[in-house]
Amino acid sequence: MAAGSETLPTPRLATVTVAGMLARAVVIAAVVAVVLGVPFGLGSKVLSDCSLAAIYAVIGISMNILVGYAGQISLGQQAFVGVGALVASNIVHTNTVTATDPFLFALSIAAAVGIGAATALVLGAVALRISGLYLALVTLVFGAVAADVVFTIESLNGHSAGVTAVRPAALAGDGAFYLFCLAAVAVVLYVDWSFTRTKAGRAVNALRESELVAQAFAVDVVRYKLLAFSLSGAIAGLAGGIFAFYTESFSDKTYTYPAGFTLALIFLVMVVIGGLGSRSGVVIASAFFGLLNPILDWFFNTIGRADWYVDHKNYVPGLIGATLLLQTIIMNPGGLGQVVRPIGRWLAGGRFTFHDESESADVGGRHVRA
Amino acid sequence: MDVLALDAQSSLVAPLFGGVFQGAAYGLLGLGLVLVYKSNRIFNFAQGEFATVGGLVAFWFASGATVFGLNLPNVPYLVALILGVLASVGVALATERVVIRPMFDRPRVVLVVGTVGVALLLIALEGLAYPATANLESISDVLGISPRLGTVDGVAILYEDIIKLIALAVLAVGSFLFFRYTATGTAILAVSQDATAARVVGISVERISMITWGFAGLLGGVAGVVLSLPGSSLFPGVFTGTALTTAFAAAVLGGMTSLPGAFVGGLGMGLIEAFANADVKYIPGLDTLHGSGEVTVAVFLLLVLLVRPRGLLGKAA
Repeated sequence: MAAGSETLPTPRLATVTVAGMLARAVVIAAVVAVVLGVPFGLGSKVLSDCSLAAIYAVIGISMNILVGYAGQISLGQQAFVGVGALVASNIVHTNTVTATDPFLFALSIAAAVGIGAATALVLGAVALRISGLYLALVTLVFGAVAADVVFTIESLNGHSAGVTAVRPAALAGDGAFYLFCLAAVAVVLYVDWSFTRTKAGRAVNALRESELVAQAFAVDVVRYKLLAFSLSGAIAGLAGGIFAFYTESFSDKTYTYPAGFTLALIFLVMVVIGGLGSRSGVVIASAFFGLLNPILDWFFNTIGRADWYVDHKNYVPGLIGATLLLQTIIMNPGGLGQVVRPIGRWLAGGRFTFHDESESADVGGRHVRA
Repeated sequence: MDVLALDAQSSLVAPLFGGVFQGAAYGLLGLGLVLVYKSNRIFNFAQGEFATVGGLVAFWFASGATVFGLNLPNVPYLVALILGVLASVGVALATERVVIRPMFDRPRVVLVVGTVGVALLLIALEGLAYPATANLESISDVLGISPRLGTVDGVAILYEDIIKLIALAVLAVGSFLFFRYTATGTAILAVSQDATAARVVGISVERISMITWGFAGLLGGVAGVVLSLPGSSLFPGVFTGTALTTAFAAAVLGGMTSLPGAFVGGLGMGLIEAFANADVKYIPGLDTLHGSGEVTVAVFLLLVLLVRPRGLLGKAA
């Protein structure tokens, strides 16, 4: 707290006036009202849609760790989500439709996290030898093959009819399940936040900038690359486990071609639009893509073009995603993160300014390794 | 185990021919991938869609389809095919102008993400224009001839298969000669090695970039049209979904910078996939496994990348 020191920032909160505190409190209250109040106010259908948005947010955070922090481009993230869903649904599956025992539910979610991490670890081992553009190719092939081979094993996917995964009684309602999803987002955000503030997080960041330089500073490249992969896979597996209970069934068609391929692209699109490395930007962008289908349903119903939309349903989200992606990388490389960063700084007690000398803006303020 | 006692002839002929003809498709797409990699050092994830656009536009004009609510005129078959190729060239030129050129100095990964975006955009536009499955009339129907050139050991050889192979060979040799012997081809290589130095000696980097992508569009368009000739089903994203990853594997196997390598790699990948799919029937217990061809291709790609990253015909980096 040395006031005269140049290296230490002056304590920020000291400069915030009472009016400033009030203004920040109002903004935070408004955000909480939108996240909690609006879905609960609009009823069951919207609550269910928002649960999906929360699951997408978890997937976005997992992508952000791999692509944003570690600089390892992944086009196979849907495989981690898929194995999580597959394992979770198979653990709780029974032939009768009864609510799952809470203990079994917890076990299945934990197993989804574990299998996601294990699967990602395999891909991480490959990434130790193959990097850059070739890794993008390998992850793409990995995702496609994992989907078409593992998810089509008939004894695991319920002979193509799907594996039911009934929610436990406490989470049967859409409201309760939405709160559960929000809690998952909060936990994952906390894990992510802690990760970036530890030695491991800084080591992974260093890997992205330059593996050689990181190694020269005694960063264990193998260890931290594998750590980034397994953490990302664990979170993606968690999202998959929750997703199985969201739909209350596992269907291989969600992850095999063509739906799985579209998912892989959408996951990349949402993390780029959110701004690589920007936690808040990625969460907002992911939630947007999670909500895109219901929003489009509502929009086309409102303007009375529902019949046209039904015929072209599969392509409208792709058009929006692709347009936003190209717009972002060409004109606004920092993504949403660059837009929300001043707001975040202001909420944390800083001054509201668009200037930020400390961070460069390339792709989401991050240099992705080529 | 007596399935193994089946006469070796008939069990080998089908995958051999099937593999070569399917491999020609991978080779055709692989050529375009290699071309862009040679000049821009990026993987073009939109190459599959350059092909799909060619096939779909040819179908739209050949059948006088209604696209975006617009009734297209019904044009002669050959003209429709040419329009398809031109559409691919146009799309590729637009990609270069809007996505590639503004980001010339950015990291390669960003450009690759850009091509992923273009692929996604093209799939969406194709779907919005014509959401149904399209079937271009097969060329043998148009000419009023039997599609079969003949049969070898009970395996039908189609005219379209031979056209595929010839197109692949001509394009591979033609592109190879273009890079080796023309001033423009050499200029493309010069720009890929050092854009600034190329500019200093008077090469227009912008013009070269335009030519490269136009050429990539041409290769993609020809691939799309030739692959659609047997009257197979076309739908939005068809070649990205069914052939792009294997085409990448073919290009990597061939060395990523070698045009003849893409030709050899394409045929090699086609054969590997076909034999893997065929052989699995004879291994007890694996007959219910799906996608054995795909897995073999994926494992092969990994092995090539791990053991010999420069491929079969590529130069050491």
